[in-house]
Amino acid sequence: MNRYLYDGTADGLFSAIAWILEEEPDPQQVALAERKDTLFEDGFFISTDATQAEDLFFRLRKQAPDAAHTLYSFMLAEKEGTESSLLHYISLAFIHGDKVNGHLTHPAVRDIVSVAKKAGRELHRMKGLLRFEKLRDGAYLAKMEPDHNIIHPLAYHFSRRLRAQHWFLYDVRRRTAARWNQGALQFGTIEQFTAPALSDDEKKVQALWQAFFKTIAIPDRKNPRLQKSNMPMKYWKYLTEKQGE
Amino acid sequence: MDTLAKLQILSGAARYDASCASSGSKREGPACGTGNTSSSGICHSWSDDGRCISLLKLLLSNDCRYDCAYCVNRSSNSVERASFTAREVVDLTLDFYRRNYIEGLFLSSAVMGSPDQTMDRMVRVAETLRTEEQFGGYIHLKIIPGSSSELVRKAGLYADRISVNIELPSQASLQRLAPQKHKDAILAPMAMIGREIASSLVERKSNRRAPRFAPAGQSTQMIIGASPENDFQILRLSQGLYKKMNLKRVYYSAYVPVTDDNRLPVLAAPPLLREHRLYQADWLLRFYGFSAEEILSDDAPHLDETFDPKTAWALRHPEFFPVEINRADYGTLLRVPGIGVVSAKRIIAARRFSAITPEGMKKIGVVMKRAKYFITCSGRSFEKPDRPATLLRQQFLIGESSALALPTQLVLPGIFS
Repeated sequence: MNRYLYDGTADGLFSAIAWILEEEPDPQQVALAERKDTLFEDGFFISTDATQAEDLFFRLRKQAPDAAHTLYSFMLAEKEGTESSLLHYISLAFIHGDKVNGHLTHPAVRDIVSVAKKAGRELHRMKGLLRFEKLRDGAYLAKMEPDHNIIHPLAYHFSRRLRAQHWFLYDVRRRTAARWNQGALQFGTIEQFTAPALSDDEKKVQALWQAFFKTIAIPDRKNPRLQKSNMPMKYWKYLTEKQGE
Repeated sequence: MDTLAKLQILSGAARYDASCASSGSKREGPACGTGNTSSSGICHSWSDDGRCISLLKLLLSNDCRYDCAYCVNRSSNSVERASFTAREVVDLTLDFYRRNYIEGLFLSSAVMGSPDQTMDRMVRVAETLRTEEQFGGYIHLKIIPGSSSELVRKAGLYADRISVNIELPSQASLQRLAPQKHKDAILAPMAMIGREIASSLVERKSNRRAPRFAPAGQSTQMIIGASPENDFQILRLSQGLYKKMNLKRVYYSAYVPVTDDNRLPVLAAPPLLREHRLYQADWLLRFYGFSAEEILSDDAPHLDETFDPKTAWALRHPEFFPVEINRADYGTLLRVPGIGVVSAKRIIAARRFSAITPEGMKKIGVVMKRAKYFITCSGRSFEKPDRPATLLRQQFLIGESSALALPTQLVLPGIFS
């Protein structure tokens, strides 16, 4: 089995995969890993070529759009040590097209699809569970700590939804932020976060929502287990309705 | 009375409405406004009873002229009364939507004055949201039986979904428990809505700018356990509503005792298991190709409490099994207990590449605990197929005993849809 290494960047990964698909007769028999700075690492290093990486993505999107979408979701998970699975998945996607996602008995397909699904599920969940607070200057801020790095697609979702508002998303753990203002979406990192002051009526609106949340439940049907399984406690930290419980 | 106090009364009064769906409509939001809808629907929270919260569910008023025995808001009950102004509902909706608490508004109401007066006030809320505030989020309006077709039509133009509650499964029960409501006043607007939805779809095919009428379709709700109808009657009613009226959903709501009226049964607890079984049977009607007559009959008109309706059907039809996983078509796979819509589709996708092995079945997501009695994998069976039905039934009970110990753990199927 041939073993290859790349520099650890996303561009490096995809240009290495492009190179292997070009040069190796049977990519399923090839392993790919990130180069660590240890003395005796065996494997052939493939240097990074951003245009190769871009070209690979472009071709995949054309030949297997669903697979490209799966790949996009997979990358949100920031999972380490999955390079070989990715390589095998992409090589299969070029052979079978979008049908590849049905090949669930193949270990690489299963790895990629199941991780992508998890990321996609959290993205969908956060579209509902994200909570904005109105700030004194009229802008809205939402804080979150998702398991997956979903700020890009999440910000896109809200750019279609809350178009007339000025808002920020802030991923507390990754220190990344998104900002939407007057039709423009921007991303960046925040070094030092200081909580801005809330608008005067914010606490009043929050109290209304908390009251609604309490009264809408049917007392005879209390079911905390079902509530927790649908809405895991790890998300409660930033939920307006779960403050002070 | 301030908004908070009204909100507590009028959301508390709305909580028995089961519908929370925000799916089935896809709308780009207006550039200078707030909100869009996505076709898959989004849940924003889950309340203490485990049900999803997707919409701001409110009554415009609980000040009711009618005296329906099963309802908290009936005129003879001494509860505190309150009514929102249109502005209050509009502001609440926008304040909540901008903070991403909700997907939109679900507005119902008690009957104040006449049905038309009530419906008119409800439509005005939707109109203000759509035209003055440029609101693009989801709106579900309840139709008050007896309101004019003009108002129903207007409601359908502003709302994503409209619904008329059928309330009780038969005219006799309606007569007894809700004497001011009449079957015809409920079915006539349903039929009209069905026609409007169909003609708007036809019109939009030739003209993309033609107005959309209730793009997420219509639904209804009935109360289970407050009247004597059996499950077979209820399922046949639902089947008729899906087939003839083109309804998107029928919701079943376990009767929660809210009064000690002697026309109502005395229940120790709401019939949650029965409600759950009805939802399972409803799914069989809509997604699994079953008919009500296959699930139940006049001789056995009640859904089995120990087995879900699909397993019960399978146990009654040993001649249908075993099903060969690597050859059976989609409709046949769907009839196997433990195989759902998702796993049936996965099986069909996966066997294009190679025959599916018993190992593969688990990975695909089939519930083997249940399915193993009914399938073969490339000719190999998991359990002896020639076992007599009674024995199989017993075996099944033992195998399922862990699940049976927890009949209170109820998960409404499709609560996400």
